[in-house]
Amino acid sequence: MHTARVLAALFKINVQQELAYRADTVANMLVSLMWLAWELTGLAIIFSNTASIAGWTFGDLLALSGMWRLLNAFMQAVVFPNTEKFNRGIREGTLDYTLLQPANSQFMVSFSRVAIWNLWNVGLALATITIGLLISESRPSPLNVVVFLALTASGGMVIYSLWIVLIALTFWFTKFDNNVTLLAAVADAGRFPATAYPIWLRVIVTFVIPIAVATTVPLQALRGDLPWWQIALALGAGVLAFFLSSRLWQAGVKRYSGASA
Amino acid sequence: MLEIYKRFWQVNWAEQWQYRANLLMYLAYWLVSPVVYLAVWTAIANAEGNVNGLTASDFAAYYLTLLPVDILTSSITIHVLAFKIQEGTISNELMQPVHPILTNTLMNNIAFKALTLIAFVPIWIVLVLLFRPALTITPLSLLIALPALAMGFLIRFFIDSIITLVAFWTTRVWSIWQFNEAISMLLNGAFVPLALMPAWVQAIAQFLPYQLGLSFPVLLILNRLPAEQIVLNYGLQVVWIGALYGAFALLWRQALKQYSAVGA
Repeated sequence: MHTARVLAALFKINVQQELAYRADTVANMLVSLMWLAWELTGLAIIFSNTASIAGWTFGDLLALSGMWRLLNAFMQAVVFPNTEKFNRGIREGTLDYTLLQPANSQFMVSFSRVAIWNLWNVGLALATITIGLLISESRPSPLNVVVFLALTASGGMVIYSLWIVLIALTFWFTKFDNNVTLLAAVADAGRFPATAYPIWLRVIVTFVIPIAVATTVPLQALRGDLPWWQIALALGAGVLAFFLSSRLWQAGVKRYSGASA
Repeated sequence: MLEIYKRFWQVNWAEQWQYRANLLMYLAYWLVSPVVYLAVWTAIANAEGNVNGLTASDFAAYYLTLLPVDILTSSITIHVLAFKIQEGTISNELMQPVHPILTNTLMNNIAFKALTLIAFVPIWIVLVLLFRPALTITPLSLLIALPALAMGFLIRFFIDSIITLVAFWTTRVWSIWQFNEAISMLLNGAFVPLALMPAWVQAIAQFLPYQLGLSFPVLLILNRLPAEQIVLNYGLQVVWIGALYGAFALLWRQALKQYSAVGA
């Protein structure tokens, strides 16, 4: 009940914020539509020169670009605005007010500001994934679909946890306001199947900054490319990452003494 | 006048040096896309032997030449100037008896290039070892490319400045910038070598300014252009610089006329 009321209040605030800048919202939506057209053009150019990339066809890559857009929507809607707010909170001491609120501090820091217009991006992403899968004519079994959904959720959890770790580190290294730049930079590597990359790049996007876990890996499962133990490993990684990042967050909050105090 | 540029250089070099940690982050940000494109084309070329005659080491040579050329010819004007216009702090610079964009902003661009290029050298060496490019560079091709690099920078600098000046009229200058960026990335050779584009796109791209600032100097350095192409592109560079400078000067006069500073 309490959680529901917090969620409802947050939703209302964020809708109001969005409505205050209507022209910006429309401009943002047009720009993201433009980038979608750009990606389609890019794929058309690539596939006018080849039939597949490391076994992935045009439809597969379209679905992958949808996965990437989904991840990107999460970064734009949640990661960037809340990181900005968090960094300002650390610098100016306003984080104290967030921590004093009678709700889970990690939840409040991660989701208090959500750029709602990105629902548009989520819609575009889901449409792209669906159309991509239809074009690629893959006929996944119901089990593969379930695994795909589970891996997408756990991939999202890995990225979310990495983000929490990065901002929690700010409690130790105060001058760390570049905390998410690296995550944002490597995100671009999620546009193409990690299996096409040379091994060193594959290691980076799978283990160091695991963008591929939320983009390539779920689609591999949908295609039936993954052995069961890799699926189990990816699912386990999501749960473990969430657990560890929450522990680090709590340790960080305990350490925090406030800029204003 | 030379003394003025020297002073602006010193100030801007010191300022950029102060932000060297940010610079490394920026480098990482800027590197990922070209390296990913290179990785993808390498995979395709290796699987099929070649793509339209280009082998994996040709792609490596192309993108690994493109990276330093992009540092040399790209412009950061909108990043250093748009917020000054929007917040009104450009007023201070307008009081000075010199053109702020053609002195301060220009020198800031060059200082940023110098520092980025220094930081990029070790990364470039690692990438060369990883991708083994077939570099077909000669001292002569480098020498011939020098003016093309300088003029390529001027072209990109003026396009960027023109878009930045729109900030005098609207705050949504970043949306316009993103549209321009998208078109530019397709037509300047950053995404793929233009030779892999459909013929009609190549024909359009040839006469637009975008490829003159990136693809042309890259192919020139790599010795990939016949003599008549070199002459044509040099001619186009001169024409475009003239046209863009004219548009820039005109827009600047209009902008000053209607500028009243935020809060004034």
